Amino acid sequence: MAPQKVQTKRLPVTDPLDGAPIQLDQPGYYEGFSTLSQQAYWDDATRKVVLQRMTAAHPILFFTPAEAATMAAVLDRILPQEDRTAARRIALLPPLDDRLFHNRIEGYRYEDMPSDQDAYRQAAKAFEQMAQTACGRSFHELETMEQETLLQSLHAEKPTAPEDAWKGINIKRFWALLVSDCCSAYYAHPWAWDEIGFGGPAYPRGYMRLEEGQPEPWEVDEQRYQWAAPADTLTDTPASEQTGEKVQSQAGQGGTH
Amino acid sequence: MSLFDRNKPLFGSFGKPKDGLHHLGPLQQIKPPQRVFRDDEEIDYLIVGVGSAGGVLLQRLARAGFKVAGFEAGPFWDTERDWVSDETGSHNLYWNDLRITGGTDPLALGNNNSGKGVGGGSVHWAAFTPRFHPSDFEVYTQDGVGADWPITYEEIEPYYQLLEQELPVAGPAWYPWGKPHGHPYGPHPMGGVGDTLIDGCTKLGIGVSAGGPVAILSASRGDRPHCIYRGFCIQACKVGAKASTLVTHVPDALEHGAEVRDNSMVSRISVKDGRVDGVHYFDRDGNERFQRAKAVIVSGYAIETPRLLLNSACAGHENGLANSSGTLGKYLMAQAGNVILGRFDQPVRMYKAPPAHALTEEFYETDPKRDFARGFAVQTVGPLPIAFAKQMSVAKNQWGWGLRRTMMDYNHWSALGLLGEILPWKDNTVELADGKGGRPEARDRYGLPVAKVTFNLHDNDTKLIEFGKNKTMEIMRAAGATEVVQEARYAHLVGGARMSKRPEDGVCDKFGRTWDVPNLFVMDGSVMPTQGSANPGLTIQALAARTADYLISQGSAVFTANGRDLTSPPCRHSLSPPGTFTKGIPHLR
Amino acid sequence: MSPFPDASPKAIVQLIPPPFRSPAEIVVDHIQHGTFQRSMALLVCSTSLISGMEVGYEHYRGSFSNPIMYTPILLSGVLAAAGGAGFFSRRAAQTVMRWASFVTLADGLIGFGFHIRGIARKPGGWRLPVFNLVMGPPVFAPLLFGTSAYLGVIASYLQREEDHGWKGKTIDAVKTATTLRKPDWREDIRVGRFQKHLCVVTAIGTVCSGGEAWYSHYKDNFKYRVQWSPVLLTPILAGAALWSLRSKRAANTVLPVASALAMLNGVVGTGYHIRGILRRPGGRKKPLYNTLYGPPIFAPMLFAACGMLGMMAYLMRRERS
Ligand SMILES: Cc1cc2nc3c(=O)[nH]c(=O)nc-3n(C[C@H](O)[C@H](O)[C@H](O)COP(=O)(O)OP(=O)(O)OC[C@H]3O[C@@H](n4cnc5c(N)ncnc54)[C@H](O)[C@@H]3O)c2cc1C
Ligand code: SF4
Repeated sequence: MAPQKVQTKRLPVTDPLDGAPIQLDQPGYYEGFSTLSQQAYWDDATRKVVLQRMTAAHPILFFTPAEAATMAAVLDRILPQEDRTAARRIALLPPLDDRLFHNRIEGYRYEDMPSDQDAYRQAAKAFEQMAQTACGRSFHELETMEQETLLQSLHAEKPTAPEDAWKGINIKRFWALLVSDCCSAYYAHPWAWDEIGFGGPAYPRGYMRLEEGQPEPWEVDEQRYQWAAPADTLTDTPASEQTGEKVQSQAGQGGTH
Repeated sequence: MSLFDRNKPLFGSFGKPKDGLHHLGPLQQIKPPQRVFRDDEEIDYLIVGVGSAGGVLLQRLARAGFKVAGFEAGPFWDTERDWVSDETGSHNLYWNDLRITGGTDPLALGNNNSGKGVGGGSVHWAAFTPRFHPSDFEVYTQDGVGADWPITYEEIEPYYQLLEQELPVAGPAWYPWGKPHGHPYGPHPMGGVGDTLIDGCTKLGIGVSAGGPVAILSASRGDRPHCIYRGFCIQACKVGAKASTLVTHVPDALEHGAEVRDNSMVSRISVKDGRVDGVHYFDRDGNERFQRAKAVIVSGYAIETPRLLLNSACAGHENGLANSSGTLGKYLMAQAGNVILGRFDQPVRMYKAPPAHALTEEFYETDPKRDFARGFAVQTVGPLPIAFAKQMSVAKNQWGWGLRRTMMDYNHWSALGLLGEILPWKDNTVELADGKGGRPEARDRYGLPVAKVTFNLHDNDTKLIEFGKNKTMEIMRAAGATEVVQEARYAHLVGGARMSKRPEDGVCDKFGRTWDVPNLFVMDGSVMPTQGSANPGLTIQALAARTADYLISQGSAVFTANGRDLTSPPCRHSLSPPGTFTKGIPHLR
Repeated sequence: MSPFPDASPKAIVQLIPPPFRSPAEIVVDHIQHGTFQRSMALLVCSTSLISGMEVGYEHYRGSFSNPIMYTPILLSGVLAAAGGAGFFSRRAAQTVMRWASFVTLADGLIGFGFHIRGIARKPGGWRLPVFNLVMGPPVFAPLLFGTSAYLGVIASYLQREEDHGWKGKTIDAVKTATTLRKPDWREDIRVGRFQKHLCVVTAIGTVCSGGEAWYSHYKDNFKYRVQWSPVLLTPILAGAALWSLRSKRAANTVLPVASALAMLNGVVGTGYHIRGILRRPGGRKKPLYNTLYGPPIFAPMLFAACGMLGMMAYLMRRERS
């Protein structure tokens, strides 16, 4: 089989000369692909759900303004979007806030964890305390690198001071909850589907080209290029390489078979 | 090429269903459930939970002429209006009410285990339908671990054959493992993940089954269309190609006079003079009511069944209803469900085709060369973006730009699922979170204590998982993956109210009749003494059909007598939904 | 004088080097006088075996979810047997083989109806014509299945090899001339004068088979450029056949060339399809599954069969009127 073609037509996220971020309407390797353009082929119920996800206004009801500022900054680091143009960023906080406000839980709580709501409240406070202790500023005012360093310490289950900020929370489980909430918000969005080349809703029309990664007539072939994360980030290298040790994460949660 | 670039189907976008009918797929429409029993009317069989087992029981008993009602905590789905082909939008298919999970290896619940709504777990299952092997029924005799079943493979075999035709099951004409058999519907075409498994297995000389066995239509059948390979099985099949009792058995049950009382949560089973006389339940408006019944069958899933029986504790049954053996809520099992992910240089696009379409059971049986008892299967899975993102955040320990980068390669990844047998252990339990005896306290919106699930892996389990995981990774590499990672997971909860030969070893006898209360039955995944490494759905439905035959043979004796007749009933072929025997391929049974 | 050399079958035969010329002459002579019932019966027998196998596995793939799906398989068995009988017995050829062929032809038409309905009943139905055509029951397959039945009908009206007389004066032809029976299509077949008729059938068959090639290769995303070849040949062969209705010259020139190309294409295609099956995951270790879901092994043969029909038309005499 032919080797991967690396295209240079699209630019990396950072300008190789001055390192300034270059923003695209649609990052990823599927230029010109749009799941939304296919919405006439979706069934009515699905179309309604997806479009509402894109348009509905979500006032922040669960988090206080201060908590919201912190959490928005945290979520922006868990799934950063500086490579997207401002109009094409996917809101992460509102779906989370909505979920917590309406108590839409995943159907369980770990015995060593408080409720999702309590966990997030405490976490918002803890992030702020970590920022103040380490840098003397609010979390959302920190530089990207500073924020990442703090989050990195949490990911490694060794959060920086103060000691008792995370008391009562199993950090490994909270981390999983946090990342999974971000993923649920980001990858539920048609723009994210376009980015990763996922076909989106498929009923009544299904798929015909099942094998060898062939695109459907309305899908787009992958056009690879050398995608690069911004230079000033800790998170583009695998965790094990960052910390030099293997982080044992907890068992996964989604149903598969 | 303008015909194909069109961004609309002929005559414009697909609209809403216009008629006032209730839809079970694009072609199957029914009148909304009609029959309603009065609360004080004594019905024959009251079934708690219309899921995999409950749906089959309801249909059989209604056909046999009994007055039956299925009480279902969730809604009666209208597939065209309620279901969507979207991951997030399908959140409400699952049992999302609170449960507490703990132990050394806590299980994720919610969308990882049970459904809520008519059809139960069969609405969101992937529909893998392998049979258990004959050895599964005598694990203790053969390996000295786990437990024996009070029945043999031969006793359940006719029901496997029957259910395989009713669902029906698509798969190869020759299935070599366990007791070899064929399938009534032809195999499915492969998607990218299936090709990975076939490629990897054949390169390593491992036998592999292509295109099944899955309860997904590989051809249209009456008013259920052929699968359209859209890959949203776990988000419920709007097409109606995937079998769920909602589309396979419940319509026939309604046709024959059964009632389905949806949005009705049974809170307590009432006992009078040693016999059950009805259930307390919360109706759709949250009012507590009481329904009289001559007999009750609990089919609420391996967590809700023990929970309901524990919540029904009363004088004479202080430790929970039907718990004189002390085994209620014990011996809970889950299968090891590690997901092994491999990246390929060429695109795979694993979201196409049903996630379930190929498997190998080459490692199913105990192998004396390995240092653990029992075995595992390897199956295809096809996570959609959100599920995949969560898996990658765990498997690669990524977040931030790294996760975004990995996700951009979504179409290059393929995923295989391990399905490993975990043995029944007494310390794996469902208890009540009632705040007593050191247990935490948590209640649902009706004020009932929720379930607390405890799960611990034991030595045999850990060894099995390690071996199975490595074997699956080997297959993935043989298929050509250049990077292979994995995520630990568990799947398929069963056990918790197991059947047994002797009253002191379990909650119920081999027909699901509880040892303590003669007109109280348990029939769902919770009756399983061991679980093999086959997905449990088919076995659950086969057991339910067998129990129905038993109840029909017993006639009204169940409602009056306290004696226990353990003779096996004949397997009735006259109670299957219409069309069962006129369609499909003649095959090796 | 025409600027073109004479390309009629008779003239072409003269170009064949001597040792092979005379058998070729005999063949052409028999074809042109409709005295090849036994060979045709044998052809019917073998083609219906092949198409029986094809519907067999296609309908297995469709899980026989409607009992009517067994009928083409049974009928192709019956037709094969009838073809065999027709080889040995004139009576059988004119009775059993004829009836079996008509019934099978009717079954093909009914099947066509069912396949159209099958597509209509898929989610989205005919509002998703392309998708459901590709993923639904193969719409033209029942018509193509009718090809061998059609050959059976033709065969049943032909004369037998032993009826062949001296220099085209076959016994029956003489008889016809004297009895002055009203010449209808059956009479045309009997005396080997049905070129236009065959051209029409060739054109229909080619469009159907080419249509199948188009949508199955479209399903495969035209991954290899050679997958376009049957699609491109389709208008050429169908066009040649239709042109031949009006022009005898076309029937003697473009028609045989296009037909030969189609036959060649079918043979090469079969080779590619076999290679495709072997290259699937599992390859020869999963022979049955990969035959079932690999490139359809008989499909290129069907295209070749259309070429064969065209070739036969070329060899045939034209209708009198
Ligand atoms: C993602 C996923 C994939 C799966 N894939 C497969 C697969 O490929 N093959 C396979 O064999 N299995 C699979 N399973 C497992 C399968 O779905 C379950 O094992 C099976 O459905 C369990 O059947 P059950 O009858 O025990 O319970 P369920 O089918 O869950 O039915 C229980 C019903 O009872 C109702 N109920 C519970 N308590 C009450 C109450 N108190 N009052 C009223 N109603 C109540 C519930 O709402 C529910 O509808 C999968 C599971 C998941 C989560
Ligand atoms: S892949 Fe097939 S079975 Fe699964 S949801 Fe789609 S149509 Fe239904």
